[in-house]
Amino acid sequence: MEDRLKDFVSGHREDFDVYEPRPELWQQICQELPENKPATRQETKVIKFSFGDSFSFSGDLVFMRVAAAVLLLLGCGLTLWVAKQSVSEGAYYAATSNTQPALQAIAPELNDIEAYYVNQLETKKEALSEYDMKVLGLDEQKEIDLELARLDSSYHQLKKQLLTTPNTEKVMNAMIRNLQIRIEVMNRQLEVLQKIEQLQNQTTQERLKNETNV
Amino acid sequence: METSTYQDVNQQVVERCKGGDNRAQYELYKLYSKAMFNVSMRIINDYAEAEDVLQEAFISAFKNLGSYKSEASFGSWLKKIVINASINAIRKRRSELVPRDERLMVDVADEPTDDGHTEWQVDNIRRAIQKLPDGYRVVLSLYLLEGYDHAEIGEVLGITESTSKSQYSRAKKKLMEIMREPQFAA
Repeated sequence: MEDRLKDFVSGHREDFDVYEPRPELWQQICQELPENKPATRQETKVIKFSFGDSFSFSGDLVFMRVAAAVLLLLGCGLTLWVAKQSVSEGAYYAATSNTQPALQAIAPELNDIEAYYVNQLETKKEALSEYDMKVLGLDEQKEIDLELARLDSSYHQLKKQLLTTPNTEKVMNAMIRNLQIRIEVMNRQLEVLQKIEQLQNQTTQERLKNETNV
Repeated sequence: METSTYQDVNQQVVERCKGGDNRAQYELYKLYSKAMFNVSMRIINDYAEAEDVLQEAFISAFKNLGSYKSEASFGSWLKKIVINASINAIRKRRSELVPRDERLMVDVADEPTDDGHTEWQVDNIRRAIQKLPDGYRVVLSLYLLEGYDHAEIGEVLGITESTSKSQYSRAKKKLMEIMREPQFAA
């Protein structure tokens, strides 16, 4: 049987993949994978540090390895902690990868732009979260969440393109447009919610009036 | 020829993964994560849940790489894991993807559904698919986008081949209805 829809979809298959997982997801996967360690067992070697007579220190290889690992972990932890302190909460939208310095060079204004819009987006999100969608009988939220996730995915793609494209300006404009659309989407949703709330208030007031009149 | 060399390249990376090579694992992740994430998104229709499934699927794939025999390509092996994990996840939400009374319904007729539309747009179809009820969406996505035939869909969902066929044509009909809704175009 002829299936035009199937033919159409097969012809545009690639274009249907619009979502991307967060760049951080690989980190999470990595943490749960068994670590890669060589299975060979070596006989215990003792390493000895000595700094004259005043200070000397010795331990077997395993102990030293553990000690080194602990030191390394502490170092990593500290670096991470310091990094976390300096990065604002809105960092979800900003890439956390090591491409940051390269991006700095390509588009120095990007940081400011992101900071500005991320701030706006957070405010809108907060305003939206004050409404209880279920109470207002609105099922649309799901759709809006999906749309915002799609926009976030394409934003990450654009950001990746920024590293390779010669036409920085074009990509930057697309990125800014992307952020603006997100704000528009949320604004529209806020308007709808405000209207619904108004209507509900009106009807309850009228009912109260009617009851007192009777 | 080309496909076989391509597979060989993959094969090497897969072998390195079996040895627990982290970099090889990342290579495969980079290669497949986006496509697999979209597979999962289409079935589950929820960003956070689809991410959980993707994570779980990659971890289980890397841990069970020993059971992968290179008779199928690595991509399709991985896809099977992702699809199964996604279906399991959505089943937790809803015990029956295809309601029992719908299974018995014999399709009215296999008439070509009126697709009365000459100009389709990927984005419209994609958004309309997202609005389909779970059962319709899963069958339609597996058939249209993941290249499963009705026998395979039946197997993975635990329904018969003919149920899958009739679910698909009903889903398609519903999809066209959604796209005709006046507020949808906006």
